[in-house]
Amino acid sequence: MSAPDTVLKVADLGVSYGAATAISRLDFEIRRGEFVAILGPSGCGKSSLLNAISGLMAPSRGRVVVDGDELYLPRSRDPRLGYVFQAHRLLPWRTVKQNLEIVLAASDVPRETWDARIDEILGILHIAQFRDSWPMRLSGGQRQRVSIARALLVDPSYILMDEPLSTLDEVTARSLRQELTGICQRTGATVVFVTHSIREAVYLADRILILTRGPSTIFEDYRVPIERPRDYDDARIAEVEADIIRRIQAPWGLGPAEERQSA
Amino acid sequence: MPDLIAKTMPFLRLPRPGPALAGAKLPGLVIALGSMLLIWHLGAMAVLPWIPAPADTAVEIWANLQSAEFWHDFRLTLARVLGAFALATLLGAAIGILIGLSERAEAFFQPLLALALAVPDPVYIIFAILAFGTGETAGFVALTVAVAPFVSNIVRSSVHARDRGLDEMARIYRLPRSAFLRESLLPQLVPALLTAARFSFALSWKLAVVVEAIGQPDGIGASIFESFRLLRMREVAATAIIFILAMQLLERGLLGRLEKRLLRWRA
Repeated sequence: MSAPDTVLKVADLGVSYGAATAISRLDFEIRRGEFVAILGPSGCGKSSLLNAISGLMAPSRGRVVVDGDELYLPRSRDPRLGYVFQAHRLLPWRTVKQNLEIVLAASDVPRETWDARIDEILGILHIAQFRDSWPMRLSGGQRQRVSIARALLVDPSYILMDEPLSTLDEVTARSLRQELTGICQRTGATVVFVTHSIREAVYLADRILILTRGPSTIFEDYRVPIERPRDYDDARIAEVEADIIRRIQAPWGLGPAEERQSA
Repeated sequence: MPDLIAKTMPFLRLPRPGPALAGAKLPGLVIALGSMLLIWHLGAMAVLPWIPAPADTAVEIWANLQSAEFWHDFRLTLARVLGAFALATLLGAAIGILIGLSERAEAFFQPLLALALAVPDPVYIIFAILAFGTGETAGFVALTVAVAPFVSNIVRSSVHARDRGLDEMARIYRLPRSAFLRESLLPQLVPALLTAARFSFALSWKLAVVVEAIGQPDGIGASIFESFRLLRMREVAATAIIFILAMQLLERGLLGRLEKRLLRWRA
């Protein structure tokens, strides 16, 4: 039985590509307003999981339920999701505003509210001045902010973020991480955040779903024991990070060198 | 003369030459044209006496530009070229997109496309004349059938090479099919479509001249063939030079401006 504020329920989920199994069996729930990080070694099936819970690829087995509706069954309405990709995936031939309008046009948001909505979201992300700019004129960090704005714009049931900061330089990534926590708290967004970085997961998330090596199952559903607001350089974050590394060492098959690299 | 062109046919205006053209390309252009004129002149004087001299050809060009008959032929040929170019480009692009997006369509069209690309262009012209006679239809059909497969081939490759990440973005945000085509796919195809359009235009006007020479009573091709039949080589050279220059101006002016406009986001 799910909690009443469950947004995403994944039950007995399995993903296979022919004879190869990417995800063995996954069961988890995510509640409204939660920030959940998914952590797993390379090749453990994180992308397959994202594809399955975003509606891009039907799982081989199990169910994905979004706001009470089965994702892969015919239904009266499509759940609206936001997605922040690793690369921004903006249309380079459309301005920032036009990129956002295209998404609004495909949603049921009334036309007369678009301008105010766009201005509000761009303001929240501190990129209002780039409203009429071409994406190619923006920096990597600014493009990723536009991508986050696009995801927030349609009032999604939840937002999937696929290592959105991994291609940015560390200074930009730090600044965006800090803002992301503020934005999620202000908007009440529910976020599923995939990352390789344990420290990033600890800093951002309420819970961390730690996956095993592929074909993956959930190794541990880890609740981050640090209250907000958090500081990226806080010693407690480093302690939790070290604790997680200790826990995953055996199931991820990490030796000392791999452990340092993973951290 | 450039001012006259700019006033009467604004679509033919060329983009202003930038510093690169003025600095590096212009001397090369002058040397190339000068060398060509010199070789032509020497050929006309000494080696091949049936070649008209450049100066005589220039006089004939001027006479042609004053001739109502020439402009009548020019307009006819231009209309044929533009009609066939537009139809072949649209048809070829539509088939290319269909093949690129649908495996079933690819399975059906691919063998036909391979066959169509292997057939020499004069064969299309001859069969079209046999099937439709020497009227406008034959030329139109021959040009379209000869040019469209090249366009399809270029566009199909571009559809296959599209950014699949944008397909996923469109699916995640539930973009309708029409919005996906208009906002995501077609803009990605613009460079390929422009290449296809340039190729289609170049092939269209060259084939149009051949079609007119073989099977039409009027037009630039028919006029060139008639002059050749009467061994009036000055007329052949003059008519061909005017037409080639006009087509080059049209291609660079019209397609060049279109390219600049469609790809302005890259600037």
